[in-house]
Amino acid sequence: MASEAPRRAMQTGRVRSDGAHDGFLRHNNFQWLKVGASVSLAAILAYLLIDVQPRPNGGSWYGYVLGTVGAGLIVWLTLLGLRKRVMTPGAWSLKAWTSAHVYLGLSLIVIATLHTGFQFGWNVHTLAYVLMMFVILSGIFGVSAYATLPRAMSANRDEMTEAQMLESLRAIDRQLHDAAQPLELRQAELVRSSLEQDPFGGSLWQRLSGNYPDCETRAAQAAVRTENAYKPKLGNDPLEKIDGLLARKEAMLARVRRHLRLKALLEIWLYVHVPLTFALLAALFAHIISVFFYW
Amino acid sequence: MTFIVRQLSRTAEGREIVRTARQETDAISIGRDAGNAIHLADLAVELHHASVSTRDGGQLEVESTCGLPFEIDGRSTLQAQINPATGAELRFGGHRVGISAEEGIAVLTVERVGALSDASESREEIGLFTLKGLLPGRRPVAWGLIGAVLLIFLAWPIFTYATSHGVEKRSAGFHADRMWLSGPLSIAHKSLKANCQACHVNKFEAVRDSACLTCHRDDAHAHADPARIALAKEPPGIGARIKGLFQTAFNHQAGRCVDCHTEHEGAGRMPATAQAFCTDCHGSLKTRLTDTRLKNAGDFGTDHPQFMPAVTVGTDAHGGRLYRRVSFDAHPVDNNGLKFPHAIHLARGGSIARMAQTMKAEQGFGDSLACKDCHAPTADGTRFKPVEMERDCGMCHSLAFDRIGGTFRTLRHGDPAQVVADLRAYYRSTGPDRPISLGGMARRRPGDYAASETTLDYVAGARAYGGQAEDAVKAVFSPGGACFDCHVVTPTGNGAEPFEVRKVVQPDRYMKKGWFDHNAHRSETCISCHAADTSKAATDLLLPDLASCRTCHVGEGGSRMKPVKAPVESSCAMCHDYHIDAGAPWLARQKVDRTKGQPRFVPAVASVR
Repeated sequence: MASEAPRRAMQTGRVRSDGAHDGFLRHNNFQWLKVGASVSLAAILAYLLIDVQPRPNGGSWYGYVLGTVGAGLIVWLTLLGLRKRVMTPGAWSLKAWTSAHVYLGLSLIVIATLHTGFQFGWNVHTLAYVLMMFVILSGIFGVSAYATLPRAMSANRDEMTEAQMLESLRAIDRQLHDAAQPLELRQAELVRSSLEQDPFGGSLWQRLSGNYPDCETRAAQAAVRTENAYKPKLGNDPLEKIDGLLARKEAMLARVRRHLRLKALLEIWLYVHVPLTFALLAALFAHIISVFFYW
Repeated sequence: MTFIVRQLSRTAEGREIVRTARQETDAISIGRDAGNAIHLADLAVELHHASVSTRDGGQLEVESTCGLPFEIDGRSTLQAQINPATGAELRFGGHRVGISAEEGIAVLTVERVGALSDASESREEIGLFTLKGLLPGRRPVAWGLIGAVLLIFLAWPIFTYATSHGVEKRSAGFHADRMWLSGPLSIAHKSLKANCQACHVNKFEAVRDSACLTCHRDDAHAHADPARIALAKEPPGIGARIKGLFQTAFNHQAGRCVDCHTEHEGAGRMPATAQAFCTDCHGSLKTRLTDTRLKNAGDFGTDHPQFMPAVTVGTDAHGGRLYRRVSFDAHPVDNNGLKFPHAIHLARGGSIARMAQTMKAEQGFGDSLACKDCHAPTADGTRFKPVEMERDCGMCHSLAFDRIGGTFRTLRHGDPAQVVADLRAYYRSTGPDRPISLGGMARRRPGDYAASETTLDYVAGARAYGGQAEDAVKAVFSPGGACFDCHVVTPTGNGAEPFEVRKVVQPDRYMKKGWFDHNAHRSETCISCHAADTSKAATDLLLPDLASCRTCHVGEGGSRMKPVKAPVESSCAMCHDYHIDAGAPWLARQKVDRTKGQPRFVPAVASVR
């Protein structure tokens, strides 16, 4: 205990953050950004200095070096999929790994582009390159989503969990159901259509855009409002209660849908990033085999 | 009449709760209104939806009271008769009403089957807020893409390879290994683009020379003994060592045609081989190939040995040219057997210039002679034809010695014996010109001394005329004579052929190891390279030396030792050919083709089929 005290004092006296609250982007004072940038810069410099004849291409000695480094990087970057399932702290923590994944993945743009020697065509070689670029672009989208969306998501949730959101919808539905009991069928149908519409339904585009033009709850509320508009407010009309409940449901739905949209944006890139990574691995394999098959 | 109404509901754990009520009534009403005997809290049900009443024989009649249908055993209807003993199942919205009989009493069992709302349906909550279900899963898509890519881009081309292995020419159309094409083929090999196996004969085997030699049988001359080439090579640098690692790892032999002649580098001409491919050996050749007579050459601008033209040193017994390669630094002279001072021929004033002026109309000369008046280019424009006396000198240097009518008799050039014979024959067969006063049939009159003296002189002259032939022969072969002025003449002491003329030899090329093309230098004047206007002796070697060429030509990368006003970057291949033959080097051919817009040069041995 006695030895603990001075250490703690030292820690509190430290100005710099100990890194515990740094995200993977800022990890260890941008260590991997520096590494990635240096690697890219070195690759560009070497490309400019080495005079490959008759023109730069992947089959020159420098092309082989870049190609080997690039292929190794791609395989290593893919391994994040395995590595992420094991969280460990330290210098080789998952955070450090993720940070390296992002910055080395970006440096791959430089390495692979130089490896091509800017020779492109309708062939398996360019296919691998294009797939790689799509994977990297989707990754860039993902990183920017991770950097910006969680804050918006947190603001939207207002400290509600997903289970609470769902339960809240159910509670409103139950109340709507009870309140609609005395209604005649035509009005009851309006409420029922709202109850029966799947709040988690809708197309992928609706999910991503947050626009649900065929929302039954909104339609029901509009219809109920129209019916209520010219009636005196006596306080005992079940429609008035329904009106209030539909308004609450709509507000809740709006929150849920914003949540769904943000979550979809956080997720959608992985549906490109992951399958295309495997397509890229296959194309890379075909690229390497084809080069040595016919050479 | 008695009915038993059973309300079934379930707890969260799924346990059934049954509430039973006996109703003593003739008819049971069903609806959403709380006043109904069977109250269904279901928004799909009317407030007063239907009624169940008894009929004769224990039958039950179910009738819609609102005009909306209900379902009986899955069928939609407005009215139905049911025997409770047989039983039936009614359905109102999300509720099921089972009808049965227990000890003669009709039992109506009510149960909610549909969920109250969509949100309240029991669902798997994990994944509800995710994109699961909206998009195909990542794993199956990944597997699908892996399969598709490997099948289309790997398996299919390999299949194409396997089926066209050993085929000389494939059918037209698409072949899957086309997708492996790393870049367009050059113009020369464009026709092979659908026939990968023409060069890539065996799988995982780098293109072998044998594939190239299938077509290039005659134009791929060996450069040097392969063993000596191997010895001459520079030890590999870092880059070459890295490449070597890959090459050994993947069965890639070095020293093949394709090392220099790289393909798939883009449509257009095959790119010129870089200078480095030459200088790898020749830049420091002497350090490794110590017995070579070749000097090191690393770059034309900075590291090139002095030119060594093959100068004439004499003739052999058969009149053939004897030559020796002498460096310009040793001030070589070219002893071709002529006495020809270029300077006085090209002088702007003086007797030759004046003579040229008099022959302007006849020969197309200018105010003085120019190089072109005597030197004619070859058909391809690369070099100049050897000078021919009759064509190139004869317009001034006439060999005429007699005139018969309008025809001149000339001495036979190049044949001294004939010259001697012709002169002797001339003097033997003719006499001196007959004085005009001796002409005619006029009678001689006494006292006409002048006439008789002329006659005596003429007769004496005519008697001695034949003997003058030897003097004339001597004069022709002596200083001031037609032969002696240009040729080296030696007396033989032999009466039949008293003089011998040294054979003139004119080489077509002085630089046999390098290529020079006059066509490519048309923008220059002759004397900017050949100092003919100041040359006073025929032995002057009027060729430009290294320094002279370097006033325009610099190294491949523009390297130079002195400032050059309009530099022409010149790699080795501009003058030298790896596969040496009589034709122009490949790069020179390309350059001239480009400048002229059409091919001027046909490779000396063009047999690529």
